[in-house]
Amino acid sequence: MPPKLSAADVATLIDEANRAARRLHRKLHLPTADLEDLSQDLLLDLICRLPGFDARRGSIGAFANIVLRNQSSRIAMRIQRERRAQDGWMFSLDAPMAGSREPLKNLLLEEDGLAGWYGQRPFDIDMQHERLAAHCVLARLRDDERQLCRALSQFTASDLVAGGVFNRSSLYRRLAALRPVLTAYGLGPCWDGFEIA
Amino acid sequence: MTTATITTIRSKVPFTEIQFCAWVAQALPGERLEYHRGFLALDRCQGLSRFNAEERTRLTWLGARTFWAAEQGLVHLVQERVSPDQFAYIAVARRKPKAAAVSLSALLLAEQEAA
Repeated sequence: MPPKLSAADVATLIDEANRAARRLHRKLHLPTADLEDLSQDLLLDLICRLPGFDARRGSIGAFANIVLRNQSSRIAMRIQRERRAQDGWMFSLDAPMAGSREPLKNLLLEEDGLAGWYGQRPFDIDMQHERLAAHCVLARLRDDERQLCRALSQFTASDLVAGGVFNRSSLYRRLAALRPVLTAYGLGPCWDGFEIA
Repeated sequence: MTTATITTIRSKVPFTEIQFCAWVAQALPGERLEYHRGFLALDRCQGLSRFNAEERTRLTWLGARTFWAAEQGLVHLVQERVSPDQFAYIAVARRKPKAAAVSLSALLLAEQEAA
């Protein structure tokens, strides 16, 4: 049966939960928006464990403190485990980072890109154009041409010939035919280069 | 009222098929390229042409590629008469066709299923 609590006891529980949430939030460098969620999680867990409170063994504050410490360490372990699994921290672009009021997206430069945060190659505007061009040209290729591109994205021309997938002369003839098509859609040598030459 | 000056690019060296494609990829709508001057139909024919075999082959490929680009909606092909039996063959860049509605991932998935 849950113990009878006074208004002062409830205020103590809420204060302790808020304090524990702030402590955890600071230690884990979580975004500001997560503070309220943490407070609520901790308070909810504390309320669920209230039937275990025995007034003869200590004050409600001391009980809350122990329960909150245990739950805080469980939450911290869960978050660290998630970070390890994701090979880094996961942030929302719309949420401000710890110690900042600006959302993350406002702090990232265009050339940084989101991928830059994870040590990947920056996704710059040239790559964007190439991606669009690839999208455009692949949608317009014939099925057999698309299959050839797909095969060449996985194997070298020599591998394809050695594997008997293509005859060497027909493979190079098809490649020669494909080259101007890819170039016309922006996936080939650059006109500026020709003009300079 | 504003007026736009349309200039036609004319290469000093003979134009190749791949150079034409590179120009198509980079040209803004309305840009013009003179890819040949002469009488293309005759210039490609053995016996009637002033060009050697290698040049005729280049012209054949170039002509076929310009026609392909026009069929794909990438350029308009026009001719300008410069003198008797002399024409400037001009490609005018068109607005690039929008990406097809089909998505790349859908295409790859469809091919994987077919394979």
